[in-house]
Amino acid sequence: MSAPARFKNRVKVSERHGAGEWAIEKVALLILMPLAVWVASTALTLTGVGHAGVLAWFANGLNATLAAITAVVFFGFASLAWKVIVEDYIHRPGNKALLLGLINIVCLVLAAASVFFIVRLATGSVPLPAGV
Amino acid sequence: MSSPSPVSGDARDDQTGRFVRQPNGRVRPLSPHLQIWRWHITMTASILFRVTIGAATVGAAMLVGWLAVLASGPDAHAALAACAASPLGLLVGIGLTWVLFSFLLNGGRHLINDTGAGLTVPSANLLSHIAVWGPFVLTAIFWIVLFASGKVSL
Repeated sequence: MSAPARFKNRVKVSERHGAGEWAIEKVALLILMPLAVWVASTALTLTGVGHAGVLAWFANGLNATLAAITAVVFFGFASLAWKVIVEDYIHRPGNKALLLGLINIVCLVLAAASVFFIVRLATGSVPLPAGV
Repeated sequence: MSSPSPVSGDARDDQTGRFVRQPNGRVRPLSPHLQIWRWHITMTASILFRVTIGAATVGAAMLVGWLAVLASGPDAHAALAACAASPLGLLVGIGLTWVLFSFLLNGGRHLINDTGAGLTVPSANLLSHIAVWGPFVLTAIFWIVLFASGKVSL
């Protein structure tokens, strides 16, 4: 049974979810626009500076923070964008749920790994595998 | 001889509910697809954005791999840097910068269109042309700067 219909400006409001995901995807994309310019300029800066140069760059707190924000926002955006693509082409409920679950897991793991490595680089931790 | 089935191809495996029985008795999709529409630059921009998002995800995964190598010390990084400086490595690098600029310009186009702006035919065409061709221009400038500054050489 569906809830009673709600109206906004005399237009029926959707009974389903989806608008929230759309808005989050757009906000993430908006945040990524200046970050993409920053990534491009960073690529110019870091090309050919060597291991020590890159570590010095990560030792700057602003650089490390922006890198972590970029990684988390991008993989969040990617999971939603892939969801849109999958929902356009995959229509069997089982396959769709399986793919969306896999996409979310992959994006979550990549975001977590990014933050893990960025924190290690920013704090100048000993090279991995540490303690072996 | 039996008459051919009116249901053929994709219609037999319809997952979408798009297929309907037309007045001539044949089952055909309700809406036409890419092979029916006259090609337009807005379609190219839209398709390229999807391709870009897929490629950007792969590129981001490669960047996470780069972080892992950096965190594994100077020796591992030197090995990766040698790979990246090879012709194949440069090709991948050029591809990734194209993806980055395509993401930037197509993302900008999409955000403008999402507000309801830029949807007249001339402005939609203009934004699409920028999103399709801009990445090639920006990628060329990017690598000319890298080669000219001596940071990259063949």
